[in-house]
Formats: sequence, structure tokens, C-alpha cells
Amino acid sequence: MVSAGTLHVVSTEMTVGAFAMAGAAFLLAGLASHDLLGMRRHLTLADNVAHFALAFGLLSMPMAIMTGIQASPGEGVDHPLLINKMLLASTAFGLAFGVLLTRWRQGSEVWLHEWGRRWQALGGMVAVGLILTTASIGGTFTRGESLLDMLHLPYEHVPLMPIWLSGFIIVVATVNLVLLRRPAQV
Amino acid sequence: MTRHRLLGVLAMLLLASSQGAANPSGVGAGTFDAQCGGACHGDADMNRSSPATVTVEAPEVAYDALLTSVSVTVSNIQTTTNGLLGVFLLSDLSGAEDTPADDGWTVISNSEGGVENYVEAQIAPGQTNHTVSWTLRAPAVGTYNLHAAIHHGTQDGSEAPFFGATASPATVSVVEVPENLPRLSATFTPPTQITVGQDTEVNLQTEFVDVVAVDWRTVGGEAQTASVRQLEDGSWAFTLPASVQPVVIEWRAHLEGEGPPQTTPWFQINSDDASWSVDEPTAYVQSLAMLVAATSLFVGLQHRRSQSSLKAYEADLNEIGGED
Repeated sequence: MVSAGTLHVVSTEMTVGAFAMAGAAFLLAGLASHDLLGMRRHLTLADNVAHFALAFGLLSMPMAIMTGIQASPGEGVDHPLLINKMLLASTAFGLAFGVLLTRWRQGSEVWLHEWGRRWQALGGMVAVGLILTTASIGGTFTRGESLLDMLHLPYEHVPLMPIWLSGFIIVVATVNLVLLRRPAQV
Repeated sequence: MTRHRLLGVLAMLLLASSQGAANPSGVGAGTFDAQCGGACHGDADMNRSSPATVTVEAPEVAYDALLTSVSVTVSNIQTTTNGLLGVFLLSDLSGAEDTPADDGWTVISNSEGGVENYVEAQIAPGQTNHTVSWTLRAPAVGTYNLHAAIHHGTQDGSEAPFFGATASPATVSVVEVPENLPRLSATFTPPTQITVGQDTEVNLQTEFVDVVAVDWRTVGGEAQTASVRQLEDGSWAFTLPASVQPVVIEWRAHLEGEGPPQTTPWFQINSDDASWSVDEPTAYVQSLAMLVAATSLFVGLQHRRSQSSLKAYEADLNEIGGED
């Protein structure tokens, strides 16, 4: 049997690797969609790589989370780093899911519109950035340091909303998603 | 389709069971019988014998309802993957209802900073010995046995559960407290946790005591004397200095009065950083809120953009048509 710690390293590397590739591909897709650096001809390739890598990263995340819980010492979330890690990972997951949902619903046409291509590339890269920050927090938690420490991010502070506000946001966001199920009408 | 869903659910359940079947990261300190504390470690059909040696040391005589100290030493410890070593203090080795509390003992503190009969110690690679001490309040008059047991993993990757126990128990005779014996009050409970960076004042309640002297030390360090002041008859106070980092501090009191002088066992205090806690349900709900909000915001943004682009496209077409 392989220990949870080893499995966590493997699954985390898969997740972070996939997201890192997605981030690079979203950057290339953004450049290609704006016909910068003569990359227009690579748009389809970058588009496919970006979204498939993002989807693979999302599929790998639950495994990383489960093995992380198994490998972590103690019980529950008893450290501000763990709370911030959970909040960031959730936001990244939601954003990445939104990027994929948009690509699935609008197809490659998402790159044809001026603001669509900007938001799609930006959304993908921000999701990747959040995941990398999440991984950085994991490094800070286990080793006491990480590469992003040079940014002096406020990992020790936990911005918590009242539970009623969180509930309100969930309701509004869910209703919004349901209403948006209808495709855009001309 | 239904069959596929059923297969999917079954597969998820099977995966979940493999994740939850063992506790390779330990279960944390707690009040456990030997059987419950280790799941498969305590099951004679599943475990393996630990090569470590476990010995328990306790005074031969303890006084009814007064505090005494018991230590468990584990030697020949094997290096394991995560270095966790679980140590039990037990009243017997039956595997059920065998905590010290089942014989009437009360666990006041242990050297790992808790108040439970089971602790998990982190053993460094190559470390072969480890001692855990408990401070107990003695039960009613009688003769009692105290056993110890351990469990741990391995380093060979098999994740086999290992279990070990003392070959022979320590026997403690609990006797009546002699008249006029200088002693700590039966109601006195020593503190077990203090915060790093803060001085700690300890208040002692005593009986038949005229003079109190207190020694304190960090584990492995030299003992120093604390200044003790009398607050009132049978009530004393002394101050432990602030620690600059998490550490276990030990102290004991020398009690003098009309009866024979007494020295208490070493009491352990765990100095730790200020504890941090959060309302977990609030954090979980906020986490879900941020997930749904991020998805909704992005999809909404692109949806709005899509509609405005189409309208602009439509306007362009109309304009072109108008020129024609």
C-alpha cells in the first residue's frame, strides 16, 4: 500500500501540473486570439490544450483534496492556512468550472468576440493563479516556506463572512446559474 | 443507464472504504481502550507484534485521591514512515473497558500536553527510546495494575499494523492518607496548558502544609527554584516564567508540615502557541459560496458579453442593410 502522503504528492503534482499547462495555454490562446506575435494559426491548438488541461486539473483536484485530508495531522481545519487554502481552492474550482462551462456552451466562438476572448483567457489564467497560490499555501503549511513567500501574502488572515451572507450568495448565484441555462437569444 | 449509475455509486463506495480503512496519520490523542484506539492495530487477527519493548514505571504506594506519576518507556523503537507512535496507559489488556478511568484513576495530565490515556508521539528517524509520563489521581484504597501498550506502522511500505504491550504490569497499592500528611488538596488540579510568551501563575491548595518550595524545569533541563508566596492558610502561588517557544515545562512541590515532608510528582505543563479556532460550518459554507459565486459570475459575464456582441453584430447587419 502507498501512504496517503505519497498519494497526495502524486495527485497534487498531477493537479498543479495540469493547471500550469492550462495557464500557459490560456496565455497563448489569448495572444493568438488577438493575433499578437503572429500566433493566430495556433489558436485552435492553444484553445484545446488550455481547456483539456483545465478539465484534467479539475478532475484531479478531488483526489488531491481527499489524500490531503488523509495525510494531514490532527483533525479538522485548525490552522488559518488550511482555511485560506480551502477558500482559494473553492474559488479556483468555481472559476475554472465557469470557464469550461462557457467554452462548452459557446464553443470555439468564444474566441471570436472581442471581450469574450479577453475574459476567457483572463478567467483561465486567474483560475490557474489561484490554484498555484493554493499549492503555495500547502508548501508554507508543510515546509514553512514556499516560492510565493516573496509576495508576503496575508496567509494568516482569514476573511470570513457571516454564514447568512454566504447562504444568500449561494442562493443568488444558483438562481443566476439556473436563469443563465437558457442560451443567448438574438 | 441505471445500471451504470449503480456501478458508479458502488465504485465510489469501494474507493471510499479503501481511504477510510486505516488511520495512517494517526487518530490523535484521546481516551481509548486498546481495541478502539488503533482499529486494526488492536485486532489480534490482523496486527503484527511490535519489536519494541514497553515498560511502565509507577510508585509502589499511592495515597487515596492524591496525585501520583506514572511513566511509560518504549525502547527499541522502529523507524516508521510517518514517525507516529501511539502509546496507551491501561488498567488491563482485555481490549475493552481497560482505560485507567475504568479502574477509578483520573488522568490529570500527560507529558504530551493532554489529559487522555492515549497519546501519539512524533518519533524522529533513528530515535529508539521515548518516554511518556502521566499524572494520575489515585482511586479508592486497593491494589491496582497499570499496563501500557503501543501501536505503530512500518517503513517497508506494507502499512502493516504493529501492536505491543508490557510483559508485566506495574502494581500500585493505594492506601489511606496518613493523618497530618502534608499534601496537595484533593480538589487541586494542576494546569496542563499555558500560552507561549506569557507568565503563568499557578495557585496551589494544600492541607497540613506550613512551608512550600517549588522546582521547575524544561524537559531535560536543570531544575530551578520558583518563588512561592502564601496567599492565605492552605493557599499558595508561584509564577512560571514565559517560554519563548512551545515546550513542556515540569514542576513539583516540596511540602513540609507536622507530618513527614512530601515531594509531589513532576507535573507537566505544555507551553504552546495561542490556540486558533474557526467556526468550521461558516468556513465550509463560505467555501461553497465562493465556488458557486465564481462560476456564476464568470458564466454571467460571458453570457452578457455574448448577448451584447450579438446585438452589436445585429446592429451592424442592419446598418449594412440600410446602406444597401
